[in-house]
Amino acid sequence: MQKKVYFYATCLGTAAMQTTVLNSIKLLRSAGVEVIFKKDQTCCGQPSYNTGYFKDTKKIALFNAELFSEDLPVVIPSGSCGGMMSHDYLELFKNDSNYEKIKNFSSRVIELSQYLEKIGFSIEDKGEPIKVTWHTNCHAFRVQKSIEANKNLLKKLKNVELVELKYEEECCGFGGTFSVKEPEISNAMAIAKVNDIVNSGAKIILSADGGCLLNIKGTIDKMGLDIKCYHLYDFLVSRMEGVSL
Amino acid sequence: MKNHSELIRTKLSDKQMRENVSNAMHTLQNNRKKLVDAKFNDWDGLRAKAKKAKNNALFTLKDRILEFEKNATKNGMQVHFANSKEDACEIIYQLMIEKNIKKVLKQKSMATEEIGLNHYLENKGLKAVETDLGELILQLGGEAPVHIVVPAIHKNRYEIGELFAEKLGASKENEPEKLNAIARKHLRNQFESLEMGISGANFAISKAGAIWLIENEGNGRMCTTAPDIHVSVCGIEKLVETFSDAATTDTLLTPSATGQFIPAYNNIITGPRKEGELDGPKEMHIILFNNHRTNILSHEDYYEALRCIRCGACMNFCPVYDKIGGHSYDAVYPGPIGEVISPQLFGMDKHGDIVTLCSLCGRCSEVCPVCIPLDSMIRKLRRDKVGEGGDNAPLGANELEHSKLESYGFEKFASLATSPKVWRTAMGNASKFNWLLQSLGTSLPVLKNWANYKKLPNLKGNLYDELKTLEGVKYE
Repeated sequence: MQKKVYFYATCLGTAAMQTTVLNSIKLLRSAGVEVIFKKDQTCCGQPSYNTGYFKDTKKIALFNAELFSEDLPVVIPSGSCGGMMSHDYLELFKNDSNYEKIKNFSSRVIELSQYLEKIGFSIEDKGEPIKVTWHTNCHAFRVQKSIEANKNLLKKLKNVELVELKYEEECCGFGGTFSVKEPEISNAMAIAKVNDIVNSGAKIILSADGGCLLNIKGTIDKMGLDIKCYHLYDFLVSRMEGVSL
Repeated sequence: MKNHSELIRTKLSDKQMRENVSNAMHTLQNNRKKLVDAKFNDWDGLRAKAKKAKNNALFTLKDRILEFEKNATKNGMQVHFANSKEDACEIIYQLMIEKNIKKVLKQKSMATEEIGLNHYLENKGLKAVETDLGELILQLGGEAPVHIVVPAIHKNRYEIGELFAEKLGASKENEPEKLNAIARKHLRNQFESLEMGISGANFAISKAGAIWLIENEGNGRMCTTAPDIHVSVCGIEKLVETFSDAATTDTLLTPSATGQFIPAYNNIITGPRKEGELDGPKEMHIILFNNHRTNILSHEDYYEALRCIRCGACMNFCPVYDKIGGHSYDAVYPGPIGEVISPQLFGMDKHGDIVTLCSLCGRCSEVCPVCIPLDSMIRKLRRDKVGEGGDNAPLGANELEHSKLESYGFEKFASLATSPKVWRTAMGNASKFNWLLQSLGTSLPVLKNWANYKKLPNLKGNLYDELKTLEGVKYE
């Protein structure tokens, strides 16, 4: 696998989760990967797509396909946005004259863990023994299919015990605009997810998706619970550097 | 028109219902998973085969209908065609008038729910009595089914005991065996005077001119064999070509629905009582009804929904359904498949609101035994709802009012996401507005929908400034 990549920060990464973006890049650099950050990058278009505004979304998709024009992997620290660009774009452009252009771009989109797995990334765990649980992002799991790669990275950490959630495959209620269009239902789902986390006994919840983490963390904080939420890539860097989070 | 938000809020605050539904759905999920893991070598292969069988019938639907009509008639059944739901009800009504029948007994059937048979007959002074335990509970309580397979799953045994005591004058019980005994005694009396039985159909096999019904209680068999007249109400999408096609699909249905390997009863009906036979109805009618199915079939984005075999797996696994229950959809068909077909069968103007009851998690499509891409269809219905469906939008879509504010919002979003300099300025400075976000979060439109329930994130830093300083990163 080519060790020169485009890095896609995602809109959430740029606006609210800059640390996660920087840590993701740190992981790539530690594996000797050359990173290109296109400063003109914006968003994958998932908010408008999932709300039904397909025409607006097409404009965004074409913008992305043109911006990332070189034949390089587009590495992204989110299975959800990855699924949007690698799979949903193809559905969106079915029967469209720009299909081939989009397909060329989509075929190069890869989630960070999947990329790291492909280049044989190794990590040394310098952290203290710890118990964590894992939240599976629906789109990453069912569309980008990157959850296995996420967990494989976790399994490389010798001092980390992973406790699976009982209802791992259930949505946390984020769903992008769903969380503001149906806030009461979204909240009921988030509370069910948090209860599942509490029942796992772990005090740390990890996920490789910013949206779900904002949703789960926002709910945990509102409920006043003593559970910490981390993005997988922030967690990995902390283990690699032996820093406690 | 109903108040969508109020209905959702009311159902979400019904703790007992939520507990009942959530427990039941988790049980159904476990049962299915255990069974599929233990008994099937190639579940996905079987799904693909069933998809092909159903598609074959849909792609040749006209031929299948004519073939079924020919063969069923040869078998002695009387085949009726109904375009609308009213047409279907009217056929049953006319049969009842002709035979001077005042009361019919029904097997559980979503088709009769869809055509609104009970109300139709009631308005004409006639009666349809439910014989399925769940449906009986609903009929006594004056409720609609909450689920397409387990219609009264939102009620627990204590609630059912109270209902039986109130409506049937029974002693107040709460043990399942005792409740069953009360229902059995009540229904036995009903069956005694049975003249016409109504059923649905799980499959209609065109080559054989036969119908296939599955059930767990045996009441359905009573409805189809005890009376002199049996009427089956069957949507045209229930047609399959061969017994082999029906068997493939049947093998997926019960495991998907309840996690049982097979149902208690598989009833295959090939016609009325023949000469020399001792039982079975003397007359058998089958009503093949359309109710906009041909519109769905002609739509490239939605025709696959007609593969649905009504197993309910999509609702069993839906994380929204188990929080709000089936009544929140205020439609005959709830859950993910309901979101797809209810607006198309009854009109987007009447049921288009339910397409927001989905976080697009995709679990419904994952478990659907006939591989219907439900989440993708829900997204497309949203497209049609906001007015981007063009001429081909489903029934009633042109009656919808569109939110100019929302569409303007997404137009601006797209313009921002394709204007890098403006985007960079906005994102790079986002953290400077953190104080505003935190202080106004609960009062700003849209944002308050989040902030009322969840803490807003603290925005800090400027990614672009940091990136420029990184070694080995080409910022271009």
